[in-house]
Amino acid sequence: MTTAQPEFMSASVVSRFPILLFVAWRNIWRNPVRSSLTISALASGLIMVILYASLLEGMTRQMVHFATDISTSHMQVHRQAFIDDQDLYATLPWSYLEKIQQAHPSIQVSPRLYAAGLASSSTTSTGVLIKAVDPKTEPDVTQMLQHVRHGKLNLDIADTTENGVQRYNLVIGAQLARNMKVKPGDELVLVTQAADGSIGNALYRIAAVLKPLEPNFDRMGVLMSIEAYQQLMYLQDGFHELAIKVAEMKELASIQDTVANKLKQFAQEKSLDELGGKAVVRNWRQLSPAVADLLEMSKAFVFIIGFIIISLASLGMLNTMLMAVHERTHEFGILLAIGMKRRWLLLMVLLESFFLALVSAVVGSLLGLVINDYFEKYGIDFSSAMPDGYDWAGMIFEPVMKGYLLPADVFTASIMMIMITMLASLIPSWRTVRLKPAEVMR
Amino acid sequence: MALLTLKDIGKRYRQGEVEVQALSGINLEINEGEFAALVGPSGSGKTTLLNIIGGLDAASHGTTQLNNIDISALKEAQLSDFRLFQLGFVFQSYNLVPVLSALENVELVMVLQGRHKKECRQRAHHYLELVGLKEVMQRRPSALSGGQQQRVAVARALAAGPRLVLADEPTANLDSENATALLDIMHTLSHEDKTTFIFSTHDPRVMDRAERIITLQDGKIVNDQEHHHEHSDKHEHIN
Repeated sequence: MTTAQPEFMSASVVSRFPILLFVAWRNIWRNPVRSSLTISALASGLIMVILYASLLEGMTRQMVHFATDISTSHMQVHRQAFIDDQDLYATLPWSYLEKIQQAHPSIQVSPRLYAAGLASSSTTSTGVLIKAVDPKTEPDVTQMLQHVRHGKLNLDIADTTENGVQRYNLVIGAQLARNMKVKPGDELVLVTQAADGSIGNALYRIAAVLKPLEPNFDRMGVLMSIEAYQQLMYLQDGFHELAIKVAEMKELASIQDTVANKLKQFAQEKSLDELGGKAVVRNWRQLSPAVADLLEMSKAFVFIIGFIIISLASLGMLNTMLMAVHERTHEFGILLAIGMKRRWLLLMVLLESFFLALVSAVVGSLLGLVINDYFEKYGIDFSSAMPDGYDWAGMIFEPVMKGYLLPADVFTASIMMIMITMLASLIPSWRTVRLKPAEVMR
Repeated sequence: MALLTLKDIGKRYRQGEVEVQALSGINLEINEGEFAALVGPSGSGKTTLLNIIGGLDAASHGTTQLNNIDISALKEAQLSDFRLFQLGFVFQSYNLVPVLSALENVELVMVLQGRHKKECRQRAHHYLELVGLKEVMQRRPSALSGGQQQRVAVARALAAGPRLVLADEPTANLDSENATALLDIMHTLSHEDKTTFIFSTHDPRVMDRAERIITLQDGKIVNDQEHHHEHSDKHEHIN
């Protein structure tokens, strides 16, 4: 066997990478208990972040669901004066209804009208927000009318009084029903100032009580048909709001542009009265900026909370690697003595941290997915304490908090965990670089 | 031309408030294929001298040349390459990487050198067989005796094909039988591979195996003589 010198002294770290990987992998299992504890701590941190991200995503999706499918729909058209001052006279002409419907083949539209009034039951009176919808087209744009808690949804004529006056059915908000101590079947009188300046008043029968949709409507909302509204308010000229639902959310922006262009075109063909201002189309993000902001903030929340949780968990990694490096100074001295370069040693120790982080990421992600599955199916049920759900930041939440996990969140959290733990392991790794073999082997 | 030349090597270091003169005025030449022992009592400077020869420590003054390479002028990365390709090390104990088998430990240096995997495996097998560890080469260090571990370290040092093997009290933790056996193996391999060995010891039984004995005392060479253990005749070297 010859002792000839090899001729590849310039071989790079790349060619040594496999052996460094191999030794690093073996090293993390030299103390299985310590490595397992470190992996447990990191994996637990990752599980917490995954579940937090899932529950927050579930909440934001619920918010979007309420904001779009239940109440607002995807877009709305108003006159500017209605947006600014809830101007009763700032209506869109009825002709717009058909024209906008024809603006794009994949949209559904439904008109709405609003007014403020005073509701009186046999025992109490309170200010209310009157909302009129078309029961035929409203289900095309929202699920509002399906959210009945008590009674049966019916906005038709209820009956005719002895004096021959027709009484319409109403649907009211849950909190309003509680405050006024009324229930389906009870009578309610509404008094308001009609469009012609007269005092409009009428007797109604409560057909149903809605589940909470949005805090304002829940406390003050009275829902009636457009026909009933027109009789009460003497307002025939048009409608205040046009709710628009698109078939595909990804088309929202382009359809919004199309509708905006059509509105300009309609105004050029026949100008609207100046007092009401121009017609404006806004998407649900513009209509519910709080929800849109919360959506943006929730991403930041996940990042910040995730960073804190994983940073705390990575302290375990820091401790493990500090101990491992401290225990192995003699061994590192030997490796340096036999010709291992300092940068290879640094890489080897970093690879050990990387393996620990990688195994933790895999274990944490898998367990996180399993636990999340339960949260997605069953959620956390607060219905015994809060049967109506709860409102927070002006939004209604269902009593069962369900998770919704985005694969990207698992990936991001795992990458974040690996990066933070690698950063934490730089301190012990750096110690190996500064070792003096002659000293550590004494 | 000598393989190793030390000229006026001196080493001072501070130990707390005290300045210690570990080595002074060391002049030494070692020829290719020599099997030399550095002897002397504890604190005489044996390990410091080996560390300076191995580029693990820097001399305060003087020059060290191995194979015409001035070690004292090499930078950190060059020193690593120098140790990797020119030197083999055997230390007192805990020489091996605990998570690697005997075979993998011997392969490690060659892999770091960039040799091909097949060549590493062949050479590792060959040298482990030479040191009598063929049967236990898959065992990890914790499953080997102290003597076996030192033999693995010798196989590792030689398998990498160095010009010079430095062994710092390789038998210090071994009983007489194992110590003698290890020295015999080192001696045989040094002759077979024509590899130069310098080892430190203060064990008289180990010294007896050396062909040249360099005696250090208080950081100075006080004696340097050839030693033929078969006939016990000695020839003085002139420094």
